[in-house]
Amino acid sequence: MQLSLLQGVLKAVRAGIIVFDAEQRIVFWNQWMEQHSQMPAADMQGKSFTDVFPDMVDGRTHVAIRAALENNFASLLSQTLNKAPFPLYANAADVANHVRMQQAVHVMPLEIASLSRHCVVQITDVSMAVSREKKLRELASELESQTLVDGMTGIANRRRFDLHLDDEFRRAKRNTSPLSLIMIDVDYFKDYNDNYGHQHGDQCLVQIAGALSSVLNRSRDLVARYGGEEFTVVLPDTNEDGAMQIAEAMRAEIEGLQIEHAYSGVAKFVTASLGVSTLVPDHMSKTGTLIHAADRALYQAKRSGRNCVVMYSDKKKSE
Amino acid sequence: MFQLSELQHDALVEIFNLGVGRAAAAMSRIVGEEVSMSVPMITFQSRAEVAKALGSAEGRRISAVAQHFEGAFHTEAFLMFPEEKSLEIVRLMVGQSLSLEELSEMEQEAMSEIGNIILNSCMGAFANAAGKELRGSLPTYHAGTGDDILGLSGKEWDGVVLTLKIDFNIERHHIYGYVAFLLDMPALQDLQRYIDDYLARLMG
Repeated sequence: MQLSLLQGVLKAVRAGIIVFDAEQRIVFWNQWMEQHSQMPAADMQGKSFTDVFPDMVDGRTHVAIRAALENNFASLLSQTLNKAPFPLYANAADVANHVRMQQAVHVMPLEIASLSRHCVVQITDVSMAVSREKKLRELASELESQTLVDGMTGIANRRRFDLHLDDEFRRAKRNTSPLSLIMIDVDYFKDYNDNYGHQHGDQCLVQIAGALSSVLNRSRDLVARYGGEEFTVVLPDTNEDGAMQIAEAMRAEIEGLQIEHAYSGVAKFVTASLGVSTLVPDHMSKTGTLIHAADRALYQAKRSGRNCVVMYSDKKKSE
Repeated sequence: MFQLSELQHDALVEIFNLGVGRAAAAMSRIVGEEVSMSVPMITFQSRAEVAKALGSAEGRRISAVAQHFEGAFHTEAFLMFPEEKSLEIVRLMVGQSLSLEELSEMEQEAMSEIGNIILNSCMGAFANAAGKELRGSLPTYHAGTGDDILGLSGKEWDGVVLTLKIDFNIERHHIYGYVAFLLDMPALQDLQRYIDDYLARLMG
């Protein structure tokens, strides 16, 4: 192939091409580079990497160029891990706004007979792929936010719980009927995870979710994963006594699973602490009150030695 | 199966630890977090044994980054992680949590770069110790069982696989992976000769 033809090809290529000699001096800078760097090839010729890209000295790209020139190794610099190493811009507006083009960079050694070793740096614009993945990521998280089921345990998730509690709260307000809430926290779960590993930790939570569900049999009762090792139960039309009975049944059910836990401070098996609150909501009440009360009761259960059930009582009122 | 003398074995472990140490430093710079890597052991196994250890019989899926090296000797090099571990590594390095169960296109490229850094560092350390020249290709990403991946170089191939267990630590996560080099008989002899030369120079 003729030299002029080769030059034509390099000019037409829709990618940046820079060739460095063994001393890391630029010997070639194609038209795409001129266009996106706003630096003409004539000015680049013979300049060293260090002079042209002072910010990139000893950076990942520089190391890759050295690996090519000294060790003969090819390198790949992904956009994901390096973003935009070279000061290249899609258009004049981006130059003004300092918005760099997203880049994938390939550095390859060049071995040509009768010449000292060179290397070629090839830069590709991956902005399209980056925005496509961003879209994909947004869609995935949107889909995730719409789901009502906890992916790991298969029971209701936090979002479903929030929606359900709102519904039942409104219904209880209308009917002036009692609404109860149980907050459940697995005892010494961090120690379980640390010692038995996350996989066993996950299995443990799945078993507990099953045990909790097995206690409930009314259609509007709901057990949900509140987060981490916390579960919560919504019990419509249930007064304090009814809620305490269910909570105690749940506590016993978890203990009855007999999941070995040698690092628990309270038992040989996995156990849980439960806090219960009940409210007949009036027009001033908010769901937050009920959740906060159950949380306080759970805290009391933890303080009273764990593996137990505590009912919330408003001390100020009773004193 | 092929065996090295204790001295040769220790020299090789030392060289590869030097290599992954450099790779870890490069990766730390990328993520701005401490990344550490070590090679606790190396073994020589047949391709079938390696595939078995990687859970091929149970259909366990592996993410692999492959590179070809030639010059002082020829080898196909692989960095391999169980697929779920490669998700963990890439997402720890990128700092994003995506619930997709496979690496996206851009994440595959990031994984390729991680493999590229590790394989180049290992082979670079070896080439330097041997005082020899090696040429390294660009990395390619593959997913499949260990059998699928190690079978890339053809069914008839019957050499030895040099396997490095890699202990990878990032943000308090410990992840084990493997680097494997496929070595045919001539490559194995070259390798052994280079280690002997290196040891001779050390004792010098």
